[in-house]
Amino acid sequence: MVADRPVRLPYCYVEKNKTYASVLSLLSEDGRLVPLCGPYEPMLDDYVVAYVQEVRFSGYNININGAANAYLSGRETAQKLQLGDVIYVRINSVDEVKSVELTDARILRGGKLIETDAVKIPRIIGKKNSMIGMITAATGCEIYVGRNGYIWVSEKGNAKLAIETIKMVEAQAHISGLTDRIKAHLDAQKSAPAPTN
Amino acid sequence: MAKEKPQLIINGKRADGRSMEDLRPIKITAHVLNDAQGSALVEWGNNKILAGVYGPRECIPRHDASPYRAVVRCRYTMAPFCSLEEHGRSGPNRRSHELSKVIREAFENVIISEAYPRTQIDIYMEVLQSDGGTRCAAITAAAVALADAGIPMKDLVCAVAVGKIDGQVAVDFSKDEDNYGESDMPIAIAPRNGDVLLFQMDGNLTREELSNALEMAYRACAKVSALQAAALKAVYDGPKPQASLVLGNKQ
Repeated sequence: MVADRPVRLPYCYVEKNKTYASVLSLLSEDGRLVPLCGPYEPMLDDYVVAYVQEVRFSGYNININGAANAYLSGRETAQKLQLGDVIYVRINSVDEVKSVELTDARILRGGKLIETDAVKIPRIIGKKNSMIGMITAATGCEIYVGRNGYIWVSEKGNAKLAIETIKMVEAQAHISGLTDRIKAHLDAQKSAPAPTN
Repeated sequence: MAKEKPQLIINGKRADGRSMEDLRPIKITAHVLNDAQGSALVEWGNNKILAGVYGPRECIPRHDASPYRAVVRCRYTMAPFCSLEEHGRSGPNRRSHELSKVIREAFENVIISEAYPRTQIDIYMEVLQSDGGTRCAAITAAAVALADAGIPMKDLVCAVAVGKIDGQVAVDFSKDEDNYGESDMPIAIAPRNGDVLLFQMDGNLTREELSNALEMAYRACAKVSALQAAALKAVYDGPKPQASLVLGNKQ
């Protein structure tokens, strides 16, 4: 139980004037609820990393790691997209049956797309971008983090270390003192000799 | 099956040494598979049941999708090697269809499906080894797998069988007790508010025996429920184990 009064929160439901968590979550003593898992729920104005799943006559079906595909109208993008293109895109509208329309697409080229849990994204970004800023600075990669759990990492820079670190953040997101551990990990990797390809 | 009916109660104890209220040893492990969204392995006495869960995802075929809620799909199957009897060798049968249906209906009550219209949620349960009470163990496994997958639910369903052997009410039947007992009654409940989500019965019970059995079932379910919660907590005791998934180098 989260609260003994009805509250509208993500990953919660209300029954008999009480609020309960609907997914496995951590509840802090001051009543803050942190979900440990759960599907991505598209919200208006979220920026997401996604990829083109289907090219249609007047637009594109885009996989945004949600329950259903999103639609990007051809009118909303100046660039022509191809099947498999990874894009960084904003959610323009979400209706009552959770149909999602997108806008402001931007193609991301020459990188890797990795999949993480959508609920871990706040941890990966960190307070005021602290975590992702640290990873970017240490690896020299360009990183786009989508609200939906997809993350794009550019190949220039140490992408291998960046992906490994993001995976580490995701796996340990629920354990405190994470920023310090990640900093130590990055420092240790940096002082180690660079991998020779 | 031509075996003589064995004695099920010896000196006030059951054949395997349990008292009437004792459950068999239960071990639940959550997050056992890398590529399923959620999974659980339940070892309940000699039963071994693996559950895997996917969803909410695009509903296929499209005409099955509902604009109001997610469609819940269940598949309960027995492996060909799960017992001495013929099971699962020639695909789905009447029994597995029935179990898939009743288990689906139990979960439809707790999954918050209205939040994900036009999608489906798949629950797969595989009985690897069976020894009586597999539907209860399968529900227990599926509930843990659903929670592990992060599918929003109102409660963590748990299930146990109660019934009558040699004239006495007891919980959690083994295969012999199931086959030679007088009555068998699997029950699934939502432990938070006590809702009964599945209720089936073979054989007969008197009214007193029934209410007695129900009380025993609730007490037993509380024990199962605690084990389910512990299994889910154990996943997050250390870093969450996870297979890294790189979707490929898209140019």
